[in-house]
Amino acid sequence: MKRTPMQSLVLYGTVILLAALILFPVYWLLVTALSTSADLSQLPPSFWPENAQWQVFAKVWEERPIPTWLANSMLAAIGSVALSMVVSVMAGYALSRFSIRGGHSLGLFILTAKMLPATLLVIPLFSIFRSFGMIGSLWTLVIAHSTLIIPFTTWMLKGYFDTIPRELEQAAMVDGCSPMGAMLRVVLPVATPGLAATALYAFVLSWADYAYARTFLINAQGSWTANLGITTMRGEYTTDWNEISAAAVFVAVPIILIYLFLERYLVGGLTAGAEK
Amino acid sequence: MANISIRNVHKSYGAVEVLKPFSLEINEGEFIVLVGPSGCGKSTMLKILAGLEPASGGEIFLGEREVTDLAPGDRDIAMVFQNYALYPHLTVRQNIGFGLKMRGMPAAEIETRVAEVARTLEVEKYLDRRPKDLSGGQRQRVALGRAIVRQPQAFLMDEPLSNLDAKLRVHMRAEIGALHQRIGVTTVYVTHDQIEAMTMADRVVIMRDGVIQQIADPDTLFQRPDNLFVAGFIGSPGMNFLSAEVERDGGRAWIDVFGNRIEVDEARLAGASAVIAGIRPEHLKLGAGPASFQVRPSLVESLGSEKYVYFDGGPHTVAREDGEEDKSKGLIARLSHTGHMSEQDKLELSFDPSDLYLFDAKTEKALR
Repeated sequence: MKRTPMQSLVLYGTVILLAALILFPVYWLLVTALSTSADLSQLPPSFWPENAQWQVFAKVWEERPIPTWLANSMLAAIGSVALSMVVSVMAGYALSRFSIRGGHSLGLFILTAKMLPATLLVIPLFSIFRSFGMIGSLWTLVIAHSTLIIPFTTWMLKGYFDTIPRELEQAAMVDGCSPMGAMLRVVLPVATPGLAATALYAFVLSWADYAYARTFLINAQGSWTANLGITTMRGEYTTDWNEISAAAVFVAVPIILIYLFLERYLVGGLTAGAEK
Repeated sequence: MANISIRNVHKSYGAVEVLKPFSLEINEGEFIVLVGPSGCGKSTMLKILAGLEPASGGEIFLGEREVTDLAPGDRDIAMVFQNYALYPHLTVRQNIGFGLKMRGMPAAEIETRVAEVARTLEVEKYLDRRPKDLSGGQRQRVALGRAIVRQPQAFLMDEPLSNLDAKLRVHMRAEIGALHQRIGVTTVYVTHDQIEAMTMADRVVIMRDGVIQQIADPDTLFQRPDNLFVAGFIGSPGMNFLSAEVERDGGRAWIDVFGNRIEVDEARLAGASAVIAGIRPEHLKLGAGPASFQVRPSLVESLGSEKYVYFDGGPHTVAREDGEEDKSKGLIARLSHTGHMSEQDKLELSFDPSDLYLFDAKTEKALR
């Protein structure tokens, strides 16, 4: 259907407005990082500093343990993604393919776990981890993040597996695969876009966490993640917002790079041609 | 290739028995078609044969080997699916060779066999494409290629043509027929299309509600249907049915069909007091004949060399189970007539009483 000029105007206007709303905080983070304290306190605010302080990035990188924080965040996120994906691929596939007594209720129950706020789970988790002597370890964070991630990724993957025709596995089994072989050789490769989207979701959830890291790692300075580390940059009497913003830019860069890398997988269409 | 022996195979989901005890001996190289309306159990039977569904009971033999509890990959059968089920992430070459690879065949031999099959099915040009880059007919050929490359004992085909357009379907039907002639592998083919069944099969198995209605070659099914369902299912357009009470007098019996009193052999009636008379649309002729009647068409469809004339058969009309569309139009006559004909014309139609099929109104079994 061809759009009228008015419809195009409304459509593009809305898209531009939404994009501006989404991009403005990122832009403002960069402006804050490049501004001096004086620039930041002036009214009306300047939308681009007169003397952009690009050296702030090098300063923060040298003076603060940013590489360690980023490495810890990366380790926790990769660990959480790996653990969550293994569990949720199996669980999502089982929920999608096998008719288990109460399977539907089980699926809903899993989703209910996602509805509980992280702050509600942090106390019992702390209690459990403490009794196992696990407080202060990055692995604790991996497990804690997985408890948040798995319910939702299981549900996401179940939905994705539901869209893959069963005949693909049946054809693979007739061709000589075991049920597990059919899943590994046919279903998972076909599900790549879904797996990529799910893994990305899991990664972002872990990467963006503050509450769990604050609770389980506060006394283990060597294991601080980037988000936890940045909050410690705030002084008792003064705060260098430009330095905090520069550190925040460092934290945002890996996510942006991962999005750029996975974008081609996130766009579906790999299943096209499987049938009909 | 091997014969297939299906012995008392049945399938239940809880209390629901979707496939009643099913027995069938399929000869080596035979082309068997399972046909019936949706939900008749034909696809379930095929999946049980493939090992994709476990049977609730019974035995299946492929040649001398019992395969009832074997995994699909261990049965040495190949299957073509309704939606082709091509692996979308693999090229045509990899799709065709997948089964051979799974069986550990050396890469060089896989390459030779894939090339040979691709040549047979004329898909050599597309070997490095993915399924999404192929047309429906090409995908169908690749699916066939994936089946024949393994040189299995038997082919199972689950409505493989139903996703193709009408013209391509006729073409592929002929191709599958020719392929079967050439390689001669025992084939079990499932369809709901009686024309496919009639044109392709050595023998047709007609199913309804999980029960075999009749097993016969296409001509026998058409000429000597065992019951009302088979008579109505086979033939296009389907048979016309009229209910009739049997009048008896002095050891003779008559039924009334379109106002004609027709004498029926008492021995044929087997004591039935009510029958359903069936007459095929092509057995109705234009003009006077041994038994004639007048109709005003409700619809006339011209096919060029012949006309389909729909008319109201009156209160005795018995609707066919599968013919929702035809039901609204009433009975039908298929007339060889090239002249003008319209709904306003009053027509005289006739039939030969020897062309009548009779069925017991209670049991629906054929009375012959």
